[in-house]
Amino acid sequence: MSTVDLAVQLGSLRLKNPIATASGTFGYGLEFSEFVDLSSLGAISVKGLSLRPCHGNPPPRICETDAGMLNAIGLQNVGVEAFLAEKLPELDRLGATVIANVWGDTEDDYCAVVERIGAERRIAAIELNVSCPNVVKGGMVFGNDPAALGVLVRKVRAVARRPLIVKLSPNVGDIVATARAAVDNGADILSLINTLVGLAIDLERREPKIGFTTGGLSGPAIRPVAVRMVWEVRKALPKIPIFGIGGIERTEDVIEFLIAGANAVQVGTANFRNPSLSAELVKGVAEWCAAHGESRVSNIVGTLKTRPRLEHTYA
Amino acid sequence: MAVNETLRVLRTLRYDAGHFSLFLQAGTIGPQAQPGNFAMLQAGDGLRPYLRRAFSIADVTTWRGVPAIEFVMKVVGVGTEMLGRFSEGTPVPVLGPLGIPFPIGDLEPGDRVALVAGGIGLAPLVLLARRLSEKGIEADLFYGGRNESDVLKRADFERLLGSHHCRYASDDGSIGRHGKVTELFEGALAAGIGFRRVYACGPVPMFRALARILEEGKIDASFAFESEMACGFGVCLGCVAPTADGRFATICREGPCLPPSAIDWSRL
Repeated sequence: MSTVDLAVQLGSLRLKNPIATASGTFGYGLEFSEFVDLSSLGAISVKGLSLRPCHGNPPPRICETDAGMLNAIGLQNVGVEAFLAEKLPELDRLGATVIANVWGDTEDDYCAVVERIGAERRIAAIELNVSCPNVVKGGMVFGNDPAALGVLVRKVRAVARRPLIVKLSPNVGDIVATARAAVDNGADILSLINTLVGLAIDLERREPKIGFTTGGLSGPAIRPVAVRMVWEVRKALPKIPIFGIGGIERTEDVIEFLIAGANAVQVGTANFRNPSLSAELVKGVAEWCAAHGESRVSNIVGTLKTRPRLEHTYA
Repeated sequence: MAVNETLRVLRTLRYDAGHFSLFLQAGTIGPQAQPGNFAMLQAGDGLRPYLRRAFSIADVTTWRGVPAIEFVMKVVGVGTEMLGRFSEGTPVPVLGPLGIPFPIGDLEPGDRVALVAGGIGLAPLVLLARRLSEKGIEADLFYGGRNESDVLKRADFERLLGSHHCRYASDDGSIGRHGKVTELFEGALAAGIGFRRVYACGPVPMFRALARILEEGKIDASFAFESEMACGFGVCLGCVAPTADGRFATICREGPCLPPSAIDWSRL
């Protein structure tokens, strides 16, 4: 087991292993310290931070669906100031590798949060949330339009002093177009995917089950979509480091993302179901590599062997 | 400190088609549990239901000499249906104990308190009744449901609190007073009984009516709130209630036991 090298390199960001946790599913990390040794994880991406504290959306905010759930939390968070003052020192003490997920209503809001983080050494990277489907302003307004995304990333890049991750929305026709816009304008790393917009209906009331009407679908139901999008972006942009995200539950799911082209993964909704899961997956990946004769986990990345697609024929 | 562990089913006790008690091994969760705490239980290892379910820890007890935690459940969907079919020995992943418990540390012998339950809202009050009786606190139960089969575990309450301290109400009159449990409680207030604090658990309409009565009477209270939740420990932010100070409080972490004065009832 100790012979497997789990370290992964995403641009200038070096992680001790490829298991990170996804923003919005891991709080500020501290809530998990009873269940997981935070220092054992590759990284944790904290709940999306805004310049000012945000109350989020009125309930109901979540509903369970088959193999997943819908949420429309509305980015409730303590704000970047409180995070830096109250949460970050404790995360640092616990040895966590911290990714600060950030968002805003406008380009200026995004830049202001990123400037506030500055060159803070206890933050390993900044992740731009341009893909939240559950707010009226900001979020997906940028993530669904390659031109708007490009402008935002360029402005943020100009003020960012830490590695910059852009988290992509799957609610687009062409994921490669938004991926390219992010990379061409200065993204160091991509993370994908955020949630897929969904709707669940209470039949008796004939009302949406979620207060915001639509919500973001997450969980194992979305994994094949996420794996496909990682694979498409990997083919189009062979050099860009990628975090794969979407419905990871088991060791095999992590390996699937790596084969598709992700350099590392972020575990999301499954953290709710089993708060110890992320640490279990670190062990699981090491065991899988050992059992498959892989001495370095990074050797698996992008090893998908595709068959040529044949055109259909007629009788 | 919350623990994520797998506990085996010791016993499933059916009350009727819609209600049952699930007894699990106490594990390390049981000895830590306080009245009002809850736990997240996983029903099966499949993808439906996907999320764990939140249940009040109803009692910490024993079954055939083995330390046990009891959950009292009403069948409302796929999760509770599966849990109700679990046989002895079935392993159940459990996360707990979670949440802020009922405040009881400040009570002293001679204090008198009320327990108000609606339907399956009895769940957190059984362990509360046990702890109160151990402390020598006089407690009155006001417990209502739609009908007699909605009003569960009456013998346990009567043993712990004394049968003369247990009063019932039902919408159809099949047990106790014909009417709402809040009317039953108001009757006791009108008769001049003074309560140091009221502990309640039940549906939102009951909470709403009770909150109004308590505010008028300036009576201290703690309500155990219920909500759908994905995680149970403050990270999904899915289970919030609107607060009187204009924000949203997580029921799992800031609650489930909250004073009714903390809630903005007009936005709930």
